Amino acid sequence: MIAYLIAIATLVGVRALLTLGLNVQWGLTGLVNLGAVAFFAVGAYTSALLAVGGAPLVVAWPVAVGLATVAGAGLAMVALRLKEDYLAIVTLGFGEVLRLFLLNEAWLTRGANGVTAIPRPFHAQFTGHYDLFYLALVFVMVALVYVALERLRRSPFGRVLRAIREDETVAAVAGKPVFRFKVQAFALGAGIGGLAGILFAHYLAYVEPNMFLPQDSLFVWLALILGGSGNNRGALLGSVVLLGLLEGSRFAKDVIPFLTGVQLAAAQQILVGVVLVVLMIQRPDGLLPETPGSD
Amino acid sequence: MPPIAQYVFNGVVTGGILALPAVAFSLLWRLLRFPNFAVSTYLTVGAYVALMLNHGVRASIEVAWIGALVVTGAVALLVDRVAFRPMRDRRPFSLAIASIGVAFVLENVVRFVWGNDFRSYDVSVTRATSVAGLLVGREQLLILGVAVVLMALAQTFLLRTRLGIAMRATADNPLLAAVKGVPTERVIAIATLGGGGLAGGAGVFLGLDASIDPVMGGGLIISVFAAAILGGIGSAPGALGGALIVGIMEEVGMLVVPPTYKTAIGFAIILAVLLMRPTGLAGARS
Repeated sequence: MIAYLIAIATLVGVRALLTLGLNVQWGLTGLVNLGAVAFFAVGAYTSALLAVGGAPLVVAWPVAVGLATVAGAGLAMVALRLKEDYLAIVTLGFGEVLRLFLLNEAWLTRGANGVTAIPRPFHAQFTGHYDLFYLALVFVMVALVYVALERLRRSPFGRVLRAIREDETVAAVAGKPVFRFKVQAFALGAGIGGLAGILFAHYLAYVEPNMFLPQDSLFVWLALILGGSGNNRGALLGSVVLLGLLEGSRFAKDVIPFLTGVQLAAAQQILVGVVLVVLMIQRPDGLLPETPGSD
Repeated sequence: MPPIAQYVFNGVVTGGILALPAVAFSLLWRLLRFPNFAVSTYLTVGAYVALMLNHGVRASIEVAWIGALVVTGAVALLVDRVAFRPMRDRRPFSLAIASIGVAFVLENVVRFVWGNDFRSYDVSVTRATSVAGLLVGREQLLILGVAVVLMALAQTFLLRTRLGIAMRATADNPLLAAVKGVPTERVIAIATLGGGGLAGGAGVFLGLDASIDPVMGGGLIISVFAAAILGGIGSAPGALGGALIVGIMEEVGMLVVPPTYKTAIGFAIILAVLLMRPTGLAGARS
């Protein structure tokens, strides 16, 4: 049971990072990104392939974060010129095409077999309580990112991002290079998503393309909207509640034993979809709404 | 290896099927001002409604098709009432996210009931005949014919009937139309019913042409989007043309890239169009 709770807490931490990343893009700056899973995948795969190829983690991890950031900047430079509606499909499509790439380009990504035996950091040093060590590692990362983002939110940079979210014409009239700020915010969010992917890959020691489905981007949205977008504490809370929701419905198997595995998975997804729609209608500001003027 | 003309013909059939949800998607986008991601999932709903009728009560495929049209239209209307109507005045993106949630629910209701297995209709198998060196299936011709007739009917409805004109007026300027006495909510209800019906009917076609599984419709969203953008949002003939181009490019593209990259072709079309015209082919409408 303890081992299970540690595993869940580790995954909550990974999800929290993803949600914090999306919060920079959508919550803070108002940029649509339906392909959050893409940067998660870039981080996970880059680090996994480099590490398996023999690169030390002090090299693999920064390169993976860097590549996710660059991928975010690249997509942003193309996509942020578009209207919001189009941005939705372009980011969604980007995530899906990336998954197809991971699936098909086996020479680079090992295709459907996935990358196995990804080295786990400091595995030799913490043999007895490795999972506990990894949980601590994830929590330290979440804490660092959280503190950094809180500072960023209150900084002049963060104020500009929020101004762009509220009214980008006003921000532009005030002399802010809106497009550059948007690209930076998008890239930063993508980099944080990449970090989440790294922690995910080295925790499971295995990645394969179907871990990065479009629905996983939807889960990140759900966590953010659930918790309260624009608010980093909300992003954390949303990640906890979402995983509680997902894991809790797993126990439904014990209560309703006549459901098959497929049915149970479907029921879980139905629940996720219904919660998302109800939240959008009833509580678009989430459990912890952003308090206005909280500089 | 079949000649390239075979790929083009298959693409035309795919495009004919794609045209129905593309028109629904395009018109609903123009009318309600948000991209409704659930439209492609209505194909799945239609396909399974017909499957239920075809396998359950031994309805012929023609009867099952009409059933799918009606039931999917009703489902679309119900979804609009429950999910989208309370959010009419919200920013488009909120509605788009809600529509993704709706798509997710519908797809998984289907999965809950029928599972993930591939299924097919109980129809007498006819062999494809060879016409001028092309393999042409009887169903393919039927699908293409019905799709063209439906598109013509949709266009006539929009251009010639009072309700169609009211619909276009609401799409152009909802406030002005409402002031002039157009019953906005009724127009939206009819468009939703019709759009859902078209998509549901297309789902049966897709089930006949390929196979039936829970992701058959949702997996098409990028292609549907591509067709609508290519045709200019809000134009029925445009969406038909866009769907044909996307269908043909996706099939012919398989000569160049592996079939698994089919979705990437639709995505490339979207990018190409939007990079040339960032506001879409419909022009600078907001």
